[in-house]
Amino acid sequence: MDFHFSEEQKMLKESARDFLQTECPKAFIRKMEKDPKGYTPELWRKMADLGWMGIIFPEQYGGIGGDFLDLLVLLEEMGRACLPGPFFSTVVLGGLPILEAGNESQKKEFLPKIVKGELILTLSHIEPATTQFDPFLISVEARSEPNGYSIDGVKLFVPDAHVAHWMICAARTKGETNSREGITLFLIDGRSSGIKWELLRTVAQDKQCEVVFRKVKVPQERILGGLNEGGKILEMLSQKAAVAKCAEMIGGAQFVLDMCVSYAKEREQFGKLIGTFQAVQHHCANMLINLEGGRYITYKAAWMLSKGIPCTKLVAVAKAWVSDAYKRVAGLGHQIMAGTGYMEEHDMPLYSRRAKAAELAFGDANYYKKLVAKEIGL
Amino acid sequence: MILIFYSGVCQEPSGHLRGKNMDFGYTREEEEFRERLCKFLDRELTEEIARQNWEDKGVGPEAREFSRKLAAHGFLGVSWPKEYGGQGLSPTYDFILLDELGERWGAHIPLDVGYTMVGHTILRRGNEEMKKEFLPRIIRGEIEFCLGYTEPNAGSDLASMRMRAVEEGDYFIINGQKTFNTEAHYAEYHWLAARTDFDPNIPKHRGISLFIVDMHSPGITVRPLITMSGEQTNEVFYENVRVPRNRLVGEKNKGFYYMMEAIDSERNHVFTPCRLLPILEELIRYAKETKFMGKPLAEDPLIRDKLAQMAMELEVAQVFADHSRWMESNEIPMTYEPEITKVFVSELEQRLVDVGMQILGHYGQLEEGSKWVPLRGRIEWYFLHSFMTTIGAGTSEIGRNVIAQRGLGLPRS
Repeated sequence: MDFHFSEEQKMLKESARDFLQTECPKAFIRKMEKDPKGYTPELWRKMADLGWMGIIFPEQYGGIGGDFLDLLVLLEEMGRACLPGPFFSTVVLGGLPILEAGNESQKKEFLPKIVKGELILTLSHIEPATTQFDPFLISVEARSEPNGYSIDGVKLFVPDAHVAHWMICAARTKGETNSREGITLFLIDGRSSGIKWELLRTVAQDKQCEVVFRKVKVPQERILGGLNEGGKILEMLSQKAAVAKCAEMIGGAQFVLDMCVSYAKEREQFGKLIGTFQAVQHHCANMLINLEGGRYITYKAAWMLSKGIPCTKLVAVAKAWVSDAYKRVAGLGHQIMAGTGYMEEHDMPLYSRRAKAAELAFGDANYYKKLVAKEIGL
Repeated sequence: MILIFYSGVCQEPSGHLRGKNMDFGYTREEEEFRERLCKFLDRELTEEIARQNWEDKGVGPEAREFSRKLAAHGFLGVSWPKEYGGQGLSPTYDFILLDELGERWGAHIPLDVGYTMVGHTILRRGNEEMKKEFLPRIIRGEIEFCLGYTEPNAGSDLASMRMRAVEEGDYFIINGQKTFNTEAHYAEYHWLAARTDFDPNIPKHRGISLFIVDMHSPGITVRPLITMSGEQTNEVFYENVRVPRNRLVGEKNKGFYYMMEAIDSERNHVFTPCRLLPILEELIRYAKETKFMGKPLAEDPLIRDKLAQMAMELEVAQVFADHSRWMESNEIPMTYEPEITKVFVSELEQRLVDVGMQILGHYGQLEEGSKWVPLRGRIEWYFLHSFMTTIGAGTSEIGRNVIAQRGLGLPRS
């Protein structure tokens, strides 16, 4: 048993925090919420120069060869800073499946460019029929044609599709709508004819899109990981994306707690610091309990994933707990910040709105508790 | 991995920590110990003994015999120093023992106050003579202590205790009353906190000392107090009880400090999430075997959700415990971490039992021994017992004060 962060991880965390404090102030986040692109190429460039886009990619593809836990350390800091932009889409949703399921020529084609910050990727996955999260509910169809496939259908909640150079599309090539068999992943050029995207207006003002595919032609060699093999990749990807999302949430929750504790130590009411009141202390204690449980369970799940230990239950527990925990932390944060925290210009809403978006991404507690129920033999 | 820094400098981490990485597993030696232990427990531990090990029934002859066997097979004292009969290994071994006991009907170390609480303070603060007298017998599973802290007017505000210990030659003469001293009716020794400095101008926690008192000493009266779940705890009265000076633990007037110093490790040893696992497992089995309108309860989405929530919280409880145990095992100073484990595990027990009572419906109210009783009445007993868990060893409210003040640096109320 060892809960130490490695020396590398501590250095990474520190340097990421310093960097984001300077480069990603709250005013920048608010600006990006209104900005049609939602990120700036300048900051993207700087992040690439720091090696962030290459953190989990092997050195042979230009990366720095870290592991999944290293990525989590970085994501925690990004969540703390509410970093806007397509990092998660590109590295976790795009790069990771290429690394794990792509053939050598796909890896050589995409990974070095991702590392250099030249490519933005995303995953189009969720569909209008996904009224409750389910990674295998895929009805968008890829029909076989003489030189490849033709894709038709609508995808929703596709993050950063508006700026993505490439997207991975999960489409059905066989079987029933909700079967995990018969799903194939395709690498699709974002500028292919027949693709139309539209930004959705969301609670977190993040850039999630509707993407419509109309007879989009995809050549055979753009299949990622084999025909009808997409279900397995989606399962792996959902697990890793869920745990990666947990790390972002932990970072956000930590910021909220830190902000509330500082406030409780300086705000006076009834002639006393509000931090001396037990009601406020208990709110803060509850925030810490929610946060720390989330951090340990997230890193445990990540450790199991990186060791290849089967961990369906642990991943489910982590995403379920952290989704609820961040929501509770944000709720208590609002209670401590009171009226001032309800103002649009305050930092608190940046976090409570993202807590909701992150809760919904890759399955909320309701979804994962259903998995846990199965795992405990019910 | 090479890191590129914000300043543009490339740096490769150096030094001894390079190889140190997060690890949630156990070593091969620890797993082998667990395997041997499991074989022993599967053979020797019964539900009757398990219930005697916890406050449910109180330690009886079966639990005493089991305690000696546990020691004879080398499962007690693995984490304790060799010179007092231990094996000098990491505290992890004791935690494995607690986990494996807990997974079997919620069992605990049979003579747990001595083994998991008092013994550690004797080791830290007792003089050599005291260590030699008590530690080997604790490790052999022969003696038990009962805690003598709480008084009628000193509960959460423990430092305001009034029990008086006055020096007279080679003895302390002790007078006063303790309450809620569980185990006092079968323990050999009282681990007693009493006031030894009566100056009203000093802070009240600076005038308290700890003593080991033979429970057979003249002048001690033990009166039973029966709890709502049928366990026995006790009031203990002292009338001119003479306690030899060499039974003073450590230095005079440092007792409260020793009690607080021990509290983190005590929480790590007492609030073990594994003890809740059997309750969850019984409920899962019940939900699968019990039908409503022809369908197993396990198919009801509401029941599935509730049980999944409990399974999830148990996993979270386990990482809390693992984290604070890891700190203790590596001698990293603990401040609030075991308090989180305590608050979370004790409140989880209440939530779990509440879920259990909901699943059992009308049948939940039936007591052990009643006609029609499900699950041997264990859930009904836990329901009654669970009112105590968020009170005993410090209320959840005091716990949250500790977390806020020691963990987050908020000012004292």
